[in-house]
Amino acid sequence: MIRARGVTLLSSPGRRLSSAQLVQLMGEVGRIGTMNTLAEPLDSELDGLLPLVATGDRLAFGRLYDLTSSKLFAVVRCILKKPELAEEALQEAFIKIWQRAASYEQGSIRPMGWLAAIARNQAIDIKRRVAERMSDGAVDIDDAGSISVLPEADLAMELSHLKKCLGQLPEERQDMVLLAYYQGWTRDELAAQFKKPATTIKTLLRRSLIVLKECLDGQA
Amino acid sequence: MDRHEELDELAAEFVLGALPAAERRDAILLMAGDAEFAALVKAWERRLVPLSLALEPVDAPPNIRGAVMKAIAGDRPDSSTIVALERNARAWRLATAAASAIAASLAAFIVFGSYSSQLPNQRYVAVLQAEGPGPGFLASIDLKSGNISVRTVGAEAQPGKSFELWALGGGRDKPQSLGVIDAAYRIPASKLGKIDPAILADTLFAVSLEPEGGSPTSQPTGPVLFTGKLVATD
Repeated sequence: MIRARGVTLLSSPGRRLSSAQLVQLMGEVGRIGTMNTLAEPLDSELDGLLPLVATGDRLAFGRLYDLTSSKLFAVVRCILKKPELAEEALQEAFIKIWQRAASYEQGSIRPMGWLAAIARNQAIDIKRRVAERMSDGAVDIDDAGSISVLPEADLAMELSHLKKCLGQLPEERQDMVLLAYYQGWTRDELAAQFKKPATTIKTLLRRSLIVLKECLDGQA
Repeated sequence: MDRHEELDELAAEFVLGALPAAERRDAILLMAGDAEFAALVKAWERRLVPLSLALEPVDAPPNIRGAVMKAIAGDRPDSSTIVALERNARAWRLATAAASAIAASLAAFIVFGSYSSQLPNQRYVAVLQAEGPGPGFLASIDLKSGNISVRTVGAEAQPGKSFELWALGGGRDKPQSLGVIDAAYRIPASKLGKIDPAILADTLFAVSLEPEGGSPTSQPTGPVLFTGKLVATD
């Protein structure tokens, strides 16, 4: 019952959230309680597909693409606002997934997480490459604005842990962490946004990450 | 802060996505050459990944599927590049770690990214092993721009001293200076010695501790702290 209410609460379509609002949303997600059922069938199918992909099974790879491309596109689109760059990142990410499927270790991370990490890294690499090409070294701040979060939130437990831990940080530092994670902002970009020296940002991020680590590992 | 803590902080910042381009490149190459660092990165991915998985899916443009399938046509998944690199680096470490536990913790990495060749992803990694006490560090060389950057992994530099990078062997009759690592842990492109790609694989790399500003004789005069050869990545 509680869960049903929680899902209803969160399923209003097309919610656009700032990073600070995201933390609030994670508060709502946390109230859903124990549930993780929606993600599990997908994870187990992916666990079945990845070893096939590693042997060069194109059919399995196509199925994997169909199951995961919209999720991975969401990940790269947060980081790369220009559609052509986001599309390039998605394409390159899937080529890497094809090449590296053999290195996926079942059980070390959920398969969707492994795929998302590849996509995220690809997107950040492209973002850095584009930034480096700008010869004047100017910081190009994207819109800090909207991140669209899955209403059903199948990952309620893990998210609520993360939310509790993020909640131990002052709000400004939560924003820094989320902007770096979701949008791949560098220290310099965060420095411009928060009007602090990059060295201060570096220190704040590192302290924040230590707090997060202690908190998350303590709950594991 | 010890080397493990230093690596963990770097891993955290890398996974968070806040590293600037050059440091990010160093981290990616370090991941390929250092199993400990790679494991720390994985742990951070695991901690933070629920944030990615919470994102609402967005349909990708339909043409991308076809482009991906076309790109992998005639291509087989490989376990070559990165995996082989990890294996080589691990074997290298195992072979040398026995010599001294201290030396193992002070391993330095010199990483060569060959962005200029027709094989854009080809990379060379040299794992430089400490021969005596000294700070560990990671260096990467962008052969195209000629820039070398070095990241400390552990202790500070010694006051009044400089690190100098040398190339030996590969048909050279004496050590060739590749440059003095400056206070910002870089060798400026203008002062970087040229490496002939043809003898890169046979080159032994070494870092020596020299008087401030580098060796006065154009040959190593101080203790050699790190040495290593390139590990072929393919």
